Amino acid sequence: MRALAARIGNKPWLLSFAGALAVWLATILFTEGKGGGQIITAALAFSTFTVIVGIGQMFVITTGPGNVDLSIPSTIALAGGVAMKIMGGQDGLIWLGLLACIGAGLAVGTFNYILIRLLKIPPIIATLSSSLIVMSVAISYGRGLQIKPPPSFADFTTAQVAGVPMLSLCAILFAMIMAVILERTVYGRATLAIGQNMRAAHLAGVKVERTRCITYLMSAAFAGLCGALLAGFSGGNALNMGEEYLLATIAVVVIGGTSVAGGRANVPGIWGAALFLYLLVTMLNTYGASAGVRLVLTGLIIIAMITLAGGDKPSR
Amino acid sequence: MRASLKKALLSMASTALMLGAGVAEADTSDKKIALSNNYAGNSWRQSMLKSWDTVTKQAVADGIVAEATPFTTSENQVTEQAAQIQNLILQGYDAIVLNAASPDALNGAVKEACDAGIVVVSFDGIVTEPCAWRIAVDFAKMGEVQLDYLNEKMPQGGNLLEIRGLAGVFVDDEIHKGIEAGVKKYPQFKVVGSVHGDWTQTVAQKAVAGILPSLPEVAAVVTQGGDGYGAAQAFKAAGRPTPLIIMGNRQDELAWWKEQKDANGYETMSVSIAPGVATLAFWVAQQILDGKDVPKDMIVPFLRIDQGNLEENLANTESGSVANVEYALEDANKVIEAAR
Repeated sequence: MRALAARIGNKPWLLSFAGALAVWLATILFTEGKGGGQIITAALAFSTFTVIVGIGQMFVITTGPGNVDLSIPSTIALAGGVAMKIMGGQDGLIWLGLLACIGAGLAVGTFNYILIRLLKIPPIIATLSSSLIVMSVAISYGRGLQIKPPPSFADFTTAQVAGVPMLSLCAILFAMIMAVILERTVYGRATLAIGQNMRAAHLAGVKVERTRCITYLMSAAFAGLCGALLAGFSGGNALNMGEEYLLATIAVVVIGGTSVAGGRANVPGIWGAALFLYLLVTMLNTYGASAGVRLVLTGLIIIAMITLAGGDKPSR
Repeated sequence: MRASLKKALLSMASTALMLGAGVAEADTSDKKIALSNNYAGNSWRQSMLKSWDTVTKQAVADGIVAEATPFTTSENQVTEQAAQIQNLILQGYDAIVLNAASPDALNGAVKEACDAGIVVVSFDGIVTEPCAWRIAVDFAKMGEVQLDYLNEKMPQGGNLLEIRGLAGVFVDDEIHKGIEAGVKKYPQFKVVGSVHGDWTQTVAQKAVAGILPSLPEVAAVVTQGGDGYGAAQAFKAAGRPTPLIIMGNRQDELAWWKEQKDANGYETMSVSIAPGVATLAFWVAQQILDGKDVPKDMIVPFLRIDQGNLEENLANTESGSVANVEYALEDANKVIEAAR
């Protein structure tokens, strides 16, 4: 038992996958095995978006206490609108739309970092206030009108290979690359070092500000990409399509075994946590739980997961 | 000199217009009306603001009122809107047309406005403060008409999937109650699944995709608006036959319906409130300022789209927007009369 606890302590992300498996089993127990595969397909498809923005948020949170990107929902709305408008429903312009959505994200990230660095505004307030500005830009840019994605882009974002969404395969590959970046590159190690102790990292020669800058730019760029993909997947952009990703990104980061205090991050856990959160809501819907019960249970289960996953001792 | 001449001509022209239209004395030409709006972040609210702009600019140009400026709070917060109303009082507006963030939390600020002699007309998001006027939506009825339609369309009944709105919000409870009452009235229908779609296409799509695999065959989907297209996408992705999905007047929903209608004779209905209801509230406020005796509680008419008028409504709806109607003074008078 203790060995098991120690193993989970070493690999807190295992817990999120175990949780996802448990709620999935509980769901198909209720349906007597019916639809188990389809539920997994849907979970993979919708988790993809949470994972893309969640990884960006993870890097931000890892840079230490107080670092969080609250501008993700507005960036998703703006970039989704920009991408759909530039693609204009034409297959030939998909590449330009994708570049533009990442460009829109980078612009928001740059703005965030300017507020944080030059104006010395705490990141929570900086990204929250920039999110208001970004949302206003999104509103005046698109006037709330929905634009349809080009047919090939819609097909790409909804395509499946043997029940596995194409986009999820891409996102798994993406997560692997980001895991390598976190564990094996100077940038990744620098992010972890800053999160553990910014001053010590600085004295050790880590380029603190450059690392933070890259981190905020990356988070916003991923949100931008997510905006375009989400608009393609759901048949058009909408101003409120990013709203649910504010709490979701923070929740998947924490449930996935990344330390809220910074300095410790985990990429696979983001996937586990995203699947877990989706399957949890699906399970409660399937059981016919009322909204009140569902919200209370979701809250309690998340608290339980965090308590279990965060149970390890600080390494120093 | 030139300006005053122009003004005189304008007011003469508008007086002539007024007399010609046979309306009240138009002594509201020096009155200032403000729109206090709590949210702008979706297509419905954007259409609402656009309609307000179109109708009130014309009214100002015609000299019916002196000013009709819209104000929107950024965060959909009660405190922020209360502060906004207090500012509007200080700025000397004669009437405030209000889409409120909360039915009761703004009552204090509304009472202050009334005490300052300002006419407050709330619509859509109404306030309970007795001194204000209310143009309310009969949300329960909006749920019930869906079952009335289904009973007519499929008298044999069947399984229903209900997509609700945002949990804990008054509107969601009311529409849900209407649907519940409808199911009681027509017991051949059974709600086999219920999810919250938050009136958002992506959220609805996600929630429906999750619950679908565990559901038996679904004959119809009852909705609250903004969620119909997401539900259709989820059924398609799951490879299940498309049920009858009640729509909520969004252009993408109507366009999808038209596509299905042309391809396989798909039939459904669509019901919601036109964002132009803000302009109805504007005319009601103008009439109150004009001295007309207006009952405190009025009901907003639904904008319902059926198989027959689908094409016409679709053609009139801007791509990516919501089906809309801009109301005129006569419409306001009809609503006022109906409330007596």
